[in-house]
Amino acid sequence: MKTLIRNARLLCPANGWDEEGALLVEDGVIAEIGKVSGKADETIDADGLCLAPGLIDLRVKIGEPGAEQKETLATASRAAVSGGVTSMVVMPDTNPVIDDVALVQFIANRGRETSDVRIYPAGALTKGLKGEAMAEIGLMSDSGAVFFTNGDLPVADPSVLRRTMGYAASCGALVASRADEHSLGKNGVMNAGALAARMGLSGLPREAEWIGLARDLLIAEATKCPLIIDQISTARSMEMIKAARTRGVKAYASVAAHHLFFNDLDVGDYLTYCKVNPPFRAEEDRQALIEALAHGDIDAVVSAHDPQPPEEKRLPFAEASFGAAGLETVLSALLVLVQDERLSMLDALRPVTTSPADIIGLPQGRLAEGAPADLILFDPEKPWLCEREHLRSRSVNSPFDGRRMVGQVMQTFVGGKNVFAR
Amino acid sequence: MAIPGYSYEFKHTHLLSIEDLSRLDIEHILDLAEEFAEATRRKERPEPHLKNNTVINLFFENSTRTMSSFEIAAKRLGADVVTMPVAQSSVKKGETLIDTAMTLNAMAPDAIVIRHSASGGVKLLSRKVDCAVINAGDGTHQHPTQGLLDTLTIRRAKGRIEGLKVTICGDILHSRVARSTTMALHMLGAEVTLCGPATLMPKGTDTWGAARALNDFDTAIDGADVVMMLRLQLERMNGAYLPSQREYFRSFGLTAERLKRAASDATIMHPGPMNRGVEIESAIADGDQSVITEQVEMGVAVREAVLKLLSGRRT
Repeated sequence: MKTLIRNARLLCPANGWDEEGALLVEDGVIAEIGKVSGKADETIDADGLCLAPGLIDLRVKIGEPGAEQKETLATASRAAVSGGVTSMVVMPDTNPVIDDVALVQFIANRGRETSDVRIYPAGALTKGLKGEAMAEIGLMSDSGAVFFTNGDLPVADPSVLRRTMGYAASCGALVASRADEHSLGKNGVMNAGALAARMGLSGLPREAEWIGLARDLLIAEATKCPLIIDQISTARSMEMIKAARTRGVKAYASVAAHHLFFNDLDVGDYLTYCKVNPPFRAEEDRQALIEALAHGDIDAVVSAHDPQPPEEKRLPFAEASFGAAGLETVLSALLVLVQDERLSMLDALRPVTTSPADIIGLPQGRLAEGAPADLILFDPEKPWLCEREHLRSRSVNSPFDGRRMVGQVMQTFVGGKNVFAR
Repeated sequence: MAIPGYSYEFKHTHLLSIEDLSRLDIEHILDLAEEFAEATRRKERPEPHLKNNTVINLFFENSTRTMSSFEIAAKRLGADVVTMPVAQSSVKKGETLIDTAMTLNAMAPDAIVIRHSASGGVKLLSRKVDCAVINAGDGTHQHPTQGLLDTLTIRRAKGRIEGLKVTICGDILHSRVARSTTMALHMLGAEVTLCGPATLMPKGTDTWGAARALNDFDTAIDGADVVMMLRLQLERMNGAYLPSQREYFRSFGLTAERLKRAASDATIMHPGPMNRGVEIESAIADGDQSVITEQVEMGVAVREAVLKLLSGRRT
């Protein structure tokens, strides 16, 4: 089976392409790019739309197993394809926690059986995510866990973290950690500052992120364990990571797409859809994160998809759960920045395609002959209104609800198969 | 006070926060409240403005004075009052605030007075009901009728608000009274100084309208026309926010000695309930300069005014 996509704007951050051309897919793999000579069984006229690698999302929370009322792999997949996400790494903080080989295999199998996108499990860093005993990192790694994380609650005890990261490094495993000294702002629900004080809400101080980050970077340096800093939210965090990199620390930085779009003022009238952790910070922080992205200092932009049903969000702000649905808005959030001339198109795509693929060692995320044909066709200028009624995720807790967006996916392909068309 | 070509109408459906009010709204409420207060002093019964109205008092947090103050105000105006302390409500059984709101709304009350432990909780409930909602305190956010009654008490004691130096001292961080009262006084032209230990002073009090935020009470009280002491929860003085009760009293207690720094005719206030000997010396609380019991009296009057203005808002 050969499919030709012609008359497209080919975009590939891996080799810096941004040019008109065609692409030939053969048996689920990219066969030819640019000027295509081979004959096709089927031809798609892209009519000038952008053709790019499908998005690779390094942080997605799913309710499967244990909280299927929030989201299953199948419902998340439905949301993902409409947002252009073709590969997702799912977090281990489910019930039960993904902390052994059988569960890693269960997730991978369920992904293959029920989802249209590629599912990669992340393994728990410690057993039960309790932060006490290291999980079977080596065995889970062999079974396909792409990295190891303690989820939303980082390992509190530095000696446990140090031993676990040292061991992970020896297995050649990658660790991801939320930078957070949890004891600071334990009851916090939004960014600490004047607005939180005025609204009578407990704050999550920036220092909690910095202290947690300083610790994690020092342990990464001592253990030589490569580390993904999961969802930075402040300007200074970026400076700290850059300084560590100059000392030779292998530190990747991720940022959630919503942190590029919102600041703490957006919490406004106690909007629980804007209750996320790390919280939306000050406008200076948001601007600094966009700048860092433009300079290529941020390695991955993630959806931080965290579906929460109404019973978790229709509550007073302090009582509502953290988390935002994000799979359907990552690409648009970045395309808005392209439209605003804050980012070039390739700089916007790199942290959601080639760069995360390279971090976890995937062949996709690029337009290259022989690479899996995980592709998206999108209109970079199409305006649309994000309305929760029209989101495909089982839980629709999107902070973008009611926002005007720019840029939308028109078609999505995974392994050459068309899995979504608008 | 009719001005030709100018008309004023109180347009609000709910009373949720002082932030929602204009200076004119506040002055209008205070004028009306003062009429109610004077009538009560003359032992006159007001017109039954709330006749055939049902007012629900829904208190998720314990309260004696605010709950009874609202109840008395509503009854004076002829309303049927149902008071529901939380212990008897289904919230303890896991019902959410919104479900509670929808259940009560179906019983068609004309006003719901609500106190809730979560900041923003009252506003959340107000979105789900068709009647007037009055915030009787939500978490550490707002307590608008307290802000209004404090302002009225000061206006009666001093004859004005404009230009007065008001010092509010204590646990500013956790105080919804400090937020509401500061905003109301600022809007009417007072110069408000907030004072408390560093651990209990939040950021950004200038956005509430406070002129100064200080940690030194002696400086804060200097020349003050009004000194308002806030209640300090005793559990905050066990080492978490403050080392001890006596150390707090040393730095932030209102003593006769310290009061000498304020204006000679300074008015002393406290929203209650007081910890005598912790934040204020008993002799001062009971002294000539204290208007603490008048605050309680004005509380009923302000709540009568608010209930009257919000009556007939059921849609």
